[in-house]
Amino acid sequence: MARFVKKNKPEAAIPTASMSDVAFLLLLFFMVSTVFVKERGLKIVMPRAENIEKIPRKQSATIYVNSSGVISINDFPVEIPQVSGLMSNKLAQNFNLITCFRTDKNTRYGVMSDILNQLREANCLRVSFEAKLKR
Amino acid sequence: MKFSRKRKELSGIPTSSMSDVAFLLLVFFLSTTKFDIKKGLGIVLPPASSQADVRVKLNDKNITKVLINKEGEILVKTIDTEERIPMDKLKARIRTIVRNNPDMVISLKTDRQSQYKFMVQALDQLQAAGAEKISLSTN
Repeated sequence: MARFVKKNKPEAAIPTASMSDVAFLLLLFFMVSTVFVKERGLKIVMPRAENIEKIPRKQSATIYVNSSGVISINDFPVEIPQVSGLMSNKLAQNFNLITCFRTDKNTRYGVMSDILNQLREANCLRVSFEAKLKR
Repeated sequence: MKFSRKRKELSGIPTSSMSDVAFLLLVFFLSTTKFDIKKGLGIVLPPASSQADVRVKLNDKNITKVLINKEGEILVKTIDTEERIPMDKLKARIRTIVRNNPDMVISLKTDRQSQYKFMVQALDQLQAAGAEKISLSTN
């Protein structure tokens, strides 16, 4: 009778010792290369209010108005008569657009009133006045 | 002669504290990260007068005017009363008005020279008082 020699199977294993090195390398790479797109806007101090509600970020378009009445949309300084055209373009891209005002608390209301009239002309009727929670 | 064999020391980076470092970093970023959440007072504007199909004529007794002057003083004007009230009393006053007449439209009229914060405070008070029909205007 022939004798069968059992063949020794080589053990298959994935080396996991360097796994953490790879993970950290990837982490570092993404930390260094990630750039967040953020609107710079204007420097403002928001008013405070109690009954504020969250605004869905995806639907919002922000209009910055600083204390001297300078208006900024998409980081471009804008004159009041241009607001209507710009906002109607935005409304065409997003039907559920909510216009958020980031207005300085000391801005004269006249500017805001003019912008609101422009929004009405552009048919951007959902508006939100951003404020900080009053404590 | 007897040769003493030198023992080779194992070289390696100590990894036992690696998890401590990782958790420390995690806790640091967890506690310092601040998300920019948008919060504000919502309102729906009426369409521009040229687009409106019909101009709604309101009965005068269904309108309460809240006027803000450039100093931030408030005047509440109904069909038969007119009173100056401070900002912190506005909520209570409007609440009684709205309770007595649920169809009441509050017209918030702010002076063009007035500061924006007065209008936001007043709007906040009106919404807190449960007023649902609010109109914004200026003079």
